Amino acid sequence: MHIPDNYLSPVTCAVMTAAMVPVWAFAIKKVKKELPKAKLPQLGIGAALTFLMMMYNVPLPGGTTGHAVGGTLIAILMGPSAACVSVSVALLLQALLFGDGGILSFGANCFNMAFVLPFVGYYLYKFIRERAKSRLGESIGAAAGAYFGIVAASLCAAAEFGIQPILFRDAAGQPLYCPYPLSVSIPAMVIPHLLVAGPVEVLFTALILAFVKKVSPDLAEPLPGKKTRGIWGLLLALICAAPLGLLASGTAWGEWGMDEITALAGYTPGGMADGFRFTALLPDYSVSGMPEVLGYILSAVLGTAVLVIVFKLISGRKKSTAQN
Amino acid sequence: MADIPQWLTQPESYDPPRDRDRFLDRSIVSFVTLLSRFRSQSALERDLLWVSPVSKLAAAVLYVVLVSLARQFAFVYLMLAYTAVLLALLPGGEIRRCLTGAIAAAALAYLILLPSALAGSRYSITMIPAKAFICVTLVNILSRTTRWDRLAGALRQVLFPDLFIFVIDITMKYIFLLGEFALQMLYALRLRSVGRNRGKYGSLAGAAGTLFLKSRAMSEELYYAMECRGFTGEYRTARVRPTWRDGVFWGLNAGLVFAYFFLS
Amino acid sequence: MIEFSGVSYTYDTSPALRDISFSIAAGESVCLLGPNGSGKSTLLRLLNGLIFPTEGTYRFEGLEITPAVMKRTAFAKQFHQRVGFVFQDSEAQLFCPTVFDEVAFGPRQMGFGEEQTARRADDCLALLGIGGLRDRQPYHLSGGEKKKVAVAAALALNPEVLVLDEPMNSLDPRTERALAQFLLQLEAAGKTVIVSTHDLRLAAKLSKRAILFDESHAVAADGGTAALLADRELLKKANLVDWEEE
Repeated sequence: MHIPDNYLSPVTCAVMTAAMVPVWAFAIKKVKKELPKAKLPQLGIGAALTFLMMMYNVPLPGGTTGHAVGGTLIAILMGPSAACVSVSVALLLQALLFGDGGILSFGANCFNMAFVLPFVGYYLYKFIRERAKSRLGESIGAAAGAYFGIVAASLCAAAEFGIQPILFRDAAGQPLYCPYPLSVSIPAMVIPHLLVAGPVEVLFTALILAFVKKVSPDLAEPLPGKKTRGIWGLLLALICAAPLGLLASGTAWGEWGMDEITALAGYTPGGMADGFRFTALLPDYSVSGMPEVLGYILSAVLGTAVLVIVFKLISGRKKSTAQN
Repeated sequence: MADIPQWLTQPESYDPPRDRDRFLDRSIVSFVTLLSRFRSQSALERDLLWVSPVSKLAAAVLYVVLVSLARQFAFVYLMLAYTAVLLALLPGGEIRRCLTGAIAAAALAYLILLPSALAGSRYSITMIPAKAFICVTLVNILSRTTRWDRLAGALRQVLFPDLFIFVIDITMKYIFLLGEFALQMLYALRLRSVGRNRGKYGSLAGAAGTLFLKSRAMSEELYYAMECRGFTGEYRTARVRPTWRDGVFWGLNAGLVFAYFFLS
Repeated sequence: MIEFSGVSYTYDTSPALRDISFSIAAGESVCLLGPNGSGKSTLLRLLNGLIFPTEGTYRFEGLEITPAVMKRTAFAKQFHQRVGFVFQDSEAQLFCPTVFDEVAFGPRQMGFGEEQTARRADDCLALLGIGGLRDRQPYHLSGGEKKKVAVAAALALNPEVLVLDEPMNSLDPRTERALAQFLLQLEAAGKTVIVSTHDLRLAAKLSKRAILFDESHAVAADGGTAALLADRELLKKANLVDWEEE
């Protein structure tokens, strides 16, 4: 679910990052309160664990494999605030060191996977567990938390994608970033999570939790004494029902997207009438919007660099075959 | 102690049943690749590409922002040239490694955007795959030409607090340590996967669950180690001072930033 | 049965093994002797088909073990059933919720019914003297107990070859003696036992044959254990002893 750069406008990214700032502040404050200073470095170990959990290849029916995120699992094992910090650090390292997930979209990715996923998952787990106090109740809580957590996160990601063509278009009316409106992005993202990624997350979370509880029951995060009020349960139920509702009934959000498209129908047929051309890109070595000379020079530079790269790649290959 | 039972003294004529455990081999490959990235850090004696880590970091972020904001292909084309030049300065093996992720990202972008292009929206498919290629390549170059502990130090110089950098350093160290443990466990699972495992999820859960327990044990040890060394929350990171080279670098960058405003 | 010819292994740029050649016949008891860093662990990983030689060949019963061969899952599974491996770090080898599950894991996979699986598992637990640990969680056992569980779990597959990497590390004397006794029992029953260690007394006790590795990552000697251990010059050069010349 890592969103790369260039699909979300920088404005969206800035907004999502701004939205995360209070969340991070809250999570860090909470963690600092609960852990003495000498224990704070342990957050690094939690982050390392989160990072590694995302690397496991998980078997899916049909012989294929997938990945789980594990945000709810970490929240249940370490508490939601520590999970928020851990997932954020893991995402930062994934983006910066491994190119997994964008730099600008870091805020949005954290919102989806370090905020929505662990918090929705954890509070749903807590809510269910407080009302069904058996071992089974706990497993069900973890399963429900993991499932709805990841579905909610995917819904947020879909929303982030889907509002791009509505909000960010150029003078000609073409979408600048993700071109798919909510009516496309929501089914495209949420359905696979409902059907595939969700069950994977559930199995991953519930089974690992069951194992840890069996082997070392004292190590999983204990629940605090206070019971959550019913109103939160209602709110959670609404959050969880929302994605299903959206898809089932083709609601306001979906129609909104469609209306936008039909309103802009003026350009779509026009575009199709023009046909699909690549020639605009590089006719005669000049690039539109650039003085011709600069275009020539750039092309020369680019061409030379590409030659050097190809040469280096080939000679690297030759060297290794020569060694064998 | 007991006597050796009969079945142990005879060879097993075993015909393995079929099973699908590609997930195990793929997990092993993921972890092995991850660990080798960490191991190759020590080979980065002198950072490639010449300028201080903080400059590289700031430049990478700056260009990702500018490329993302750009609305004309002219600037994207300029950045493509810049990226290609940077790549051409690297040794062959590094080029290949930087390119793999970038080409995959661009190809994926093409695939995703194809439906919208066929529906008449040309802008996205012209711009986004190229932008994706540039951004992923720049970040890969940053990550592969800078030693990661120095990259963390660069974050410090961009005003992230000390304690945060400490957590990042610990995270990197323990990704490696725990990663090795996780890999050993996966090998152990592989070695004992001699037939049909009806409890695949259970075994994977066991491996991952034990990893969590191990991480807890390591947390305890880390805490004791910090206590023994009188940790009070202060943390110094290795700072690489900028040099004249950074001046030249930023001179060039200023030119590119100016070009952005001119071309975009 | 096991044949290494001119095998070298290099991690990225640093060599771990150089031009290693030896053969081990079925039923032999061999000790791989060498100081830390001589490449023994790498050799054991090669033996078990976890990694593959960068140069040279490794043949198991005449068939060369290569990545392509090990990709054939049926063969790989059979291979892992025939060659059992006990890691140096037992903690990394145990991943089931109870000791019994750990030992029963192999037989269950092989398709034996619950009754036969239980019989095998209990046999192995009794052999190692850990019947009492049957329902305990492996994670919370002591180092020695974990090691015994790991050995029992490998044994339950009924492998023809049992490979152990520094088995006596961090074991108390009594456990060490018990484990050594057990390995001798296995050898007598016809199993091929390959032990890697830097402990000379253990080598003398366990194995009739020793292959000596030195710090240059090559084979320094290969022959009868007693004779090898008597050659002090050789041992000193290989950094296995540090005796002053009398």
